[in-house]
Amino acid sequence: MADKTYLSEIKEIRVDENNPLFDKTGMLYKEFPSDYRQIRYFTLLIVQSAPLEIKEINLLEQQISEVIKNAVKHGNQCAVGKKVRVWYSFDSTHAHLIVQDEGEGFKDLEKWNEFNRKRLEILSAQDFESLADFVSFRTQKSDDNDGGNALFAALEYWNGGFVFNDSRNAVAMLKSFPQKKHAIG
Amino acid sequence: MELKIRKNGNNYIIDVNGEMDLYNSYKLKELVMKMLEKKVERFIINLENVDYIDSSGIGALIYICSTIKKMSLQLIITNIHGSVKKVIELTKLMGYFPITNSIEEAIMQMEE
Repeated sequence: MADKTYLSEIKEIRVDENNPLFDKTGMLYKEFPSDYRQIRYFTLLIVQSAPLEIKEINLLEQQISEVIKNAVKHGNQCAVGKKVRVWYSFDSTHAHLIVQDEGEGFKDLEKWNEFNRKRLEILSAQDFESLADFVSFRTQKSDDNDGGNALFAALEYWNGGFVFNDSRNAVAMLKSFPQKKHAIG
Repeated sequence: MELKIRKNGNNYIIDVNGEMDLYNSYKLKELVMKMLEKKVERFIINLENVDYIDSSGIGALIYICSTIKKMSLQLIITNIHGSVKKVIELTKLMGYFPITNSIEEAIMQMEE
């Protein structure tokens, strides 16, 4: 039986430089060389400023690491001289990041959205055989270490938006954390 | 990440210990490919001691799963929990991977 929940809200990667998520006011800043070996270390330097109240910090770390990896590897092609610039702000209610590289920008963004739309249709039809062709987004530049699935999760995780700038070499994202409901009175 | 193989009847259980990330996930892929060369037919991948997985790790599991499915051999991934489960859920692959909650359940399913 078809499961419509996958189609109820088809999320897309958007391009919108004027999106409020690109407002850097009050955000902390770090920049890193595009050293592939240090991606998780750089990520930890950023995540360490997240407050302890944030649950699932492993998941936050993983999601940030994916975006930094994309900037280092796909954006800057691991050219150590090229910088990855990160603006970030965390509190118990949200995580907000902007990650910018010096690359040519995400050229396959429309192809990715199209691929993802088909993937969600297949999931909706629960057609797990066809799904095999839609579990990993590949381009000519993909190698064996590219999972090809990071952005599927990113679009779900960053529930406050995942938006590229016009030149597509910077991405802004927001995660809102669920809040405990306090009894009134 | 550390990988250990143990045998239970015709089932080969791979215990993964540590983090499955962009630096080491290829090791699991390589191990399974070697085991396939040695004609192993039933695989159980135990993720009980894995608390972190990224897209490379998920990619390795997808590769392993699709290779084993194409060869009509058997694979079950078990003991998925915490943020590993969350990442697989976010990627919407819970229905794609053959998953059980425990090794015992995996072994029972293999026998069916």
